[in-house]
Amino acid sequence: MRNDVRELRLAAGLSQRELAGALEVSRQTVNSIETGRYDPSLPLAIAIARHFHRTVEEIFHVD
Amino acid sequence: MSTDGRTHKPTPPIVGGALAVLALVIATGLLLREHAPGNMGSGFLVGAAVAMLGGAVMWWRATRSPGRASTFERAWTQTGDERDDAVLTRALAVLGLLAVPLTGVAAIAIGLGAAVEMVLALLLAAEVAVGAIAFVVVARRS
Repeated sequence: MRNDVRELRLAAGLSQRELAGALEVSRQTVNSIETGRYDPSLPLAIAIARHFHRTVEEIFHVD
Repeated sequence: MSTDGRTHKPTPPIVGGALAVLALVIATGLLLREHAPGNMGSGFLVGAAVAMLGGAVMWWRATRSPGRASTFERAWTQTGDERDDAVLTRALAVLGLLAVPLTGVAAIAIGLGAAVEMVLALLLAAEVAVGAIAFVVVARRS
């Protein structure tokens, strides 16, 4: 599944570590989500969407 | 107001659990030293000591500085996030799947006359290796 997490994070001026701290996950998890190697659970996807004031569908795209 | 000078601090469950495991390991090691062939008891005690020391270091690193702990440390100490749990679950699933054919191979080797102690030791080593490799591969791919 593709996502726009990296673009949104960079637009917000956040590092992976800062975003990970806000979401209460590890930096490796943020990196894995951004590179598409890990699809987050629904609760984490919703937390990411809320963090960027978007909907889940606006951030995550089914290939 | 006065106190009796004693304060009761509840023992953390992990300390009680670690002490129970330590007692069980020592008792098993002493039993093996007494009854098992060769130096199996000493080997068991040394292996258990290394494993417990490694576990203690992992737990200390994962709780003291979670940001610098590895996926392996966070996953095994249950202090990680959902990805850490997923990596550990998938690695253990791979190990579980491969444990069946590995055990079958070991049984065949014993049937063909291989020394039982050697086959069991190799089986354990193979399972540890499979688990470690599976964890590394799954962690790199997820």
